[in-house]
Amino acid sequence: MPTATITVALVGNPNTGKSTLFNALSGLRQRVGNYPGVTVEMKKGQLTADGVNFELIDLPGTYSLAARSPDEMVAVDLLLGRRPEEPRPDVIVSIVDATNLDRHLYLTSQLLDLGVPVVVAVNMIDAAAAQGLTIDYEKLSTALGVPVVPIQANNGTGLPQLVRTIRQAAHERKIPQPVEFPFAFDEIIAHITKELSDQVPPVLVRRLLWDVGGYVEQWLLAEHGERLHHLLAKARDQLAAANCPVPAIEARTRFAWVRQAVAAAVTKPAGRPITWTDRIDAVLTHRWWGTLVFVAVMFVMFQSIFLWAQPLMDQIDAVREWLAQSVAEALPSGPLRALLVEGVIGGIGSVLVFLPQILILFAFIAVLEDCGYMARAAFLMDRIMSRCGLSGKSFIPLLSSVACAVPGIMATRVIENRRDRLATIVVAPLMSCSARLPVYVLLIGAFVARPGSPAWLPGLVLFAMYMIGFTVAPLVALALKRTLLRGAPPVFVMELPSYRRPKLTAVLRRMFDAGKAFVVRAGTIILAAMIIVWALLYFPYIDSNGDSYPARIEQAEEAAAATAERLKELQAIKNPTPEQQAELAELEDVAALPDKLNGQWKRQSLLGRVGLWMEPVFEPLGWDWKIGVAAMASFPAREVIVGTFGLLYDVGDVDPGLVLDPSTDEEGQAKVASLTRAVQEEWAKDPIRGPYGVPVALSIMVFFALCCQCGATLAVIQRETKNWLWPAFTFIYMTTLAYGGAMLTFQLGRLIVG
Amino acid sequence: MLVPLDMLRAGEWAEVEEVSGQPSWVGRLAELGIRQGCRVQVLQPGATCLLNVAGCKLCLRGGECSQILVRPVSL
Repeated sequence: MPTATITVALVGNPNTGKSTLFNALSGLRQRVGNYPGVTVEMKKGQLTADGVNFELIDLPGTYSLAARSPDEMVAVDLLLGRRPEEPRPDVIVSIVDATNLDRHLYLTSQLLDLGVPVVVAVNMIDAAAAQGLTIDYEKLSTALGVPVVPIQANNGTGLPQLVRTIRQAAHERKIPQPVEFPFAFDEIIAHITKELSDQVPPVLVRRLLWDVGGYVEQWLLAEHGERLHHLLAKARDQLAAANCPVPAIEARTRFAWVRQAVAAAVTKPAGRPITWTDRIDAVLTHRWWGTLVFVAVMFVMFQSIFLWAQPLMDQIDAVREWLAQSVAEALPSGPLRALLVEGVIGGIGSVLVFLPQILILFAFIAVLEDCGYMARAAFLMDRIMSRCGLSGKSFIPLLSSVACAVPGIMATRVIENRRDRLATIVVAPLMSCSARLPVYVLLIGAFVARPGSPAWLPGLVLFAMYMIGFTVAPLVALALKRTLLRGAPPVFVMELPSYRRPKLTAVLRRMFDAGKAFVVRAGTIILAAMIIVWALLYFPYIDSNGDSYPARIEQAEEAAAATAERLKELQAIKNPTPEQQAELAELEDVAALPDKLNGQWKRQSLLGRVGLWMEPVFEPLGWDWKIGVAAMASFPAREVIVGTFGLLYDVGDVDPGLVLDPSTDEEGQAKVASLTRAVQEEWAKDPIRGPYGVPVALSIMVFFALCCQCGATLAVIQRETKNWLWPAFTFIYMTTLAYGGAMLTFQLGRLIVG
Repeated sequence: MLVPLDMLRAGEWAEVEEVSGQPSWVGRLAELGIRQGCRVQVLQPGATCLLNVAGCKLCLRGGECSQILVRPVSL
């Protein structure tokens, strides 16, 4: 029987193998802890050893406890037991890299100040041995004043010893001896602590004094105002006069302490050997070769996303269709069946269809990150990205958004700088995603690729649509960084870790986490949005005579099915007699009736009425209410426009997938062709859309290129920023941009054509 | 002779003499090992440069590099 739970916090620099250690210790017993108001997540896991329960918390990788943002402050608060939802850790495990103790022990020295027992886990002892380093762990332990355990987290070496040491440390409760600072310093700390009426622990008072402009200073100044401001300024002047300038004094004192400890315990070989990492880096960070490799890696990544995701997506679609059909057959027609089939099953299907792309993208990201390549890629791309105020780390999320903004936005987690991350998230939906492709293809097919127009024109228009995203996104990012997200230029310092072999379990875990986060949290919101639009297009379903549209459509479908055979026969006749012609015309009407009724129904649905009412708004774009309704209906998911167009132009629902690949299916081909024809014919009759068909088509495409018509994206933005403000902002700025862009396109186009 | 870090060529070593600028990022650089008295080697110069700091590779944006004054040393 376990008696008590020991809470253990894992703290370390990025790339120390902290997560590997966490996973090795807690196995599958993990969950994610969320904290209100901040975007950080901390993983929590459990471990039972020798009848003792351990609760492990994996803190985000950090180089120091000098918090610069609320996100970084969460870790400090948690370690001090200042988060009400978490108990104060009983033991802190400080994970350090054996090959670079000089730097990693700096954070350890800060941890010693916290008044909690510390255990140092020296990881990657294999790599240290390979570099010829010999470490005397006993001497190191004496020098640091805390227990030291050598481990190799990726194969489990030393872990039982580490767990025993943690348990012993929790049992003994020996508070480590902090690094000594000059006497002048201690006096000032005591003074300020008293001035703050002992409300703030001395550790935080030290951070207040040291971290000029840091989060503790912002927070306490907001609380105590001018008085503290003067006090601080005076204290820092005093320290400078006593030859202890802030913030240099902290680094100076701690690194001196670290150097002493390392000198006592570590024997280094003369001269640093050229490592494997150096050899590989000579190529991968090379300005030309490195860029070439990067382009190749990106190409393989996106090609695989397209190639491997498609069959899976088709399968998900097939399952969805099968389910919809089964439910449709099992239930009588009516609102409930329609809700289940079109709203719920359709909605869930449209969520799950993103899953293959997300899983594949995250498999790549996990591999590239774990092996250390991601940092090299960010280094190479930083030169380009810095021109639009972002850093190299924004490149992969933006490029991923070309496939789909949802995984792209989730991939921004690799960006530590909050402002950079927000700017990247907000512009990611501008990149032309794969869901825009059916829209472009349909409209280009109907209006640009006409007989007589040059063969290169459709390709050029498609290219232009993609270029809209590629040019507008950096401009918006730059504008944001100059206005809303303005701040001191972020320090772009990034460590390029040594190359390592990625672990399969870690990759699978990343994929699972990303998939789960998407399905569970974003999925519910998308589903809700889909159901709302479904309802707006479904109700009211009673026509002016009091009959129900679904019932009438069903009757009409039965009638059409009954005469389908005869219709085919008549169509096959080469030279029909007048009677046969009359019968053919009649049967064609019967066959078209279900789609016609559906069109009528959608027109008088709530959304249809709103569209009619809002027609003046669409006029400057060259749109009629049908295009307007189709565009509005596609706000939850943009590919919906193809289907809605089909409904409104009386040709029945059209699967957007068919537009891209009609070759496989004759019926589908006919359906796409008839939609193209219906749109062409309708527009030809219209005084605006007749002569200006091309400008109108372009205006729709530009609108779709710039608009955020994707409930999934907005839901993911909310999820990632933990705030409804950012999705709202994204939605508003993109819709405004889209409206302006579409209007400009139409008006210019009209001038040119006219 | 003191020169800004970004004036060094690939492969050259230097000792950091002074890091100036916003206190918060001076602190951050110090945590990463770029502080007075430390040896650094420029692996790749440029707007975003690549440094070898105590056996660790760090990449650093150029604008900041110019606020780091170093004394070139020959090994």
